[in-house]
Amino acid sequence: MTRAMDTRVSRRSFLRGLTLVAGGLGFGGGLGLSVPWAEAESDPLLSGRPLVRYPEKTELIQLTARPPQLETPMSYFDRAITPNEAFFVRYHNFPIPTSVDLDTWRLEVKGHVDSPLSLSMDQLKKFPVASVTAVAQCSGNSRGRFTPRVFGGQWGDGAMGNAVWTGARLQDVLKAAGVRQGGLDVTFDGLDKPAFPSVPDYVKALDLQRIMNDPDVIIAYEMNGERLPMLNGFPARLVVPGWYATYWVKNLSEIAVLAERFEKFWVKPGYRIPDTPGGAIEPGTTPKATVPITRMTVRSFIATPTSGTRVKVTERVALKGIAFDGGKGIREVLLSDNAGETWARATLGHDHGRYSFREWSATWTPRRAGEARLMVRAVNGIGESQGHEPLWNPAGYLRNVIEQITLVVV
Amino acid sequence: MRSIAAALALLLLAITGVAVAGETVTITLPPDGVTLKPGAGMEQAAVSCRLCHSLDYITTQPAGGAAQWHGVVTKMLKIYGAPIAEPDAKAIAEYLASQYGTR
Repeated sequence: MTRAMDTRVSRRSFLRGLTLVAGGLGFGGGLGLSVPWAEAESDPLLSGRPLVRYPEKTELIQLTARPPQLETPMSYFDRAITPNEAFFVRYHNFPIPTSVDLDTWRLEVKGHVDSPLSLSMDQLKKFPVASVTAVAQCSGNSRGRFTPRVFGGQWGDGAMGNAVWTGARLQDVLKAAGVRQGGLDVTFDGLDKPAFPSVPDYVKALDLQRIMNDPDVIIAYEMNGERLPMLNGFPARLVVPGWYATYWVKNLSEIAVLAERFEKFWVKPGYRIPDTPGGAIEPGTTPKATVPITRMTVRSFIATPTSGTRVKVTERVALKGIAFDGGKGIREVLLSDNAGETWARATLGHDHGRYSFREWSATWTPRRAGEARLMVRAVNGIGESQGHEPLWNPAGYLRNVIEQITLVVV
Repeated sequence: MRSIAAALALLLLAITGVAVAGETVTITLPPDGVTLKPGAGMEQAAVSCRLCHSLDYITTQPAGGAAQWHGVVTKMLKIYGAPIAEPDAKAIAEYLASQYGTR
């Protein structure tokens, strides 16, 4: 930051040249592995999906290449904080941003405000610093598990992650811009722009009052203490704790206050759930009315051992996993080895706050040989939990059925 | 020193797909090698669908009925504004239904 302007320019243009060379040769990133991997062997949905290594990422399960949709292997959910390199990736349009220069990047704050802002990263970092540990989960996480099946991204269970997000409070930034009387919705746009002008740009909106009442909504420029990976939204992304990641706009570049409601494609008809209790309808039917998806449902997973693992009769098995909800916090995690007839309490790990994954652990001792099914369910702070029967909606959202693994006892 | 730093950035970008130089972060995406099943209409599908997304958007979908696949293609044209001519759209929908449909 203290370098002379000329050297920065020359260095940057040199780098641009290098990018072209590297791109032209087809280097960069890794190639998909064709070797079988553990989770794919026991999970028909994931079998055949390549494990890939994208820039700044470890090996993740590739759902799609362009735009990239990469999911986190279940083995990473044995701990509360998901490493940045293992954090899932989901974009809607292609091309996606692959190069950002902080010298020229600005966060525009405009629309129904008294003094529009054009914030550099240095200016954004001058706002009071706020941190929140929160789960980002794709609305359609586990869509591939729906019966009857629905079209859309066929995610397994890895379109979720939990990180410590640090940045500026959105309400502080809006206050600095001076929102005028009559502001209703606030829209968020990122650097990703679709290939054709006819394709809807990815823009999301939040209710202004919702933002002004919630100091945990932040513009994050750090993820687990480091800058964001490009594929997770460098240099800044919106963090809306408790709500599905569809609102967590990445590579953020523009915030606009509107004096009306925003109802463009990704808000309507996109990302809506049936206007019914639990957002559920009779499988295979069409909803009469819909509302935007917002708060996450209660979920819990057994991360280790992975389904299909062989264990020995009478030998104690250590179980680990996570549970989370839409912001009430996890009160308890329960395990069953008899199809839900009886449940035993797991030990909860450190509490990182009500928006975070709650780590849990337990031990289980197999009494007889054969296949054993272990179920997990969580209860949140207001008594909401998970059901035995999956709820259905046509977009494949809100999955929160009781999860299970099968162990082979020998 | 500066040229050494720049050369290192090149090397890193080539090896890891990531380069950080001064205030700029640049990544290079790995190649997309997804292909479709052979069949009449495959060429049109491969070219048209790839205008906006890789072909695993097709290959990872559950088997759908012909009406579902025709619906998807219509959605791509009418809602997502894909620049595909009508005859191609018809050929693509028929190809998808025959190769990735329920039987």
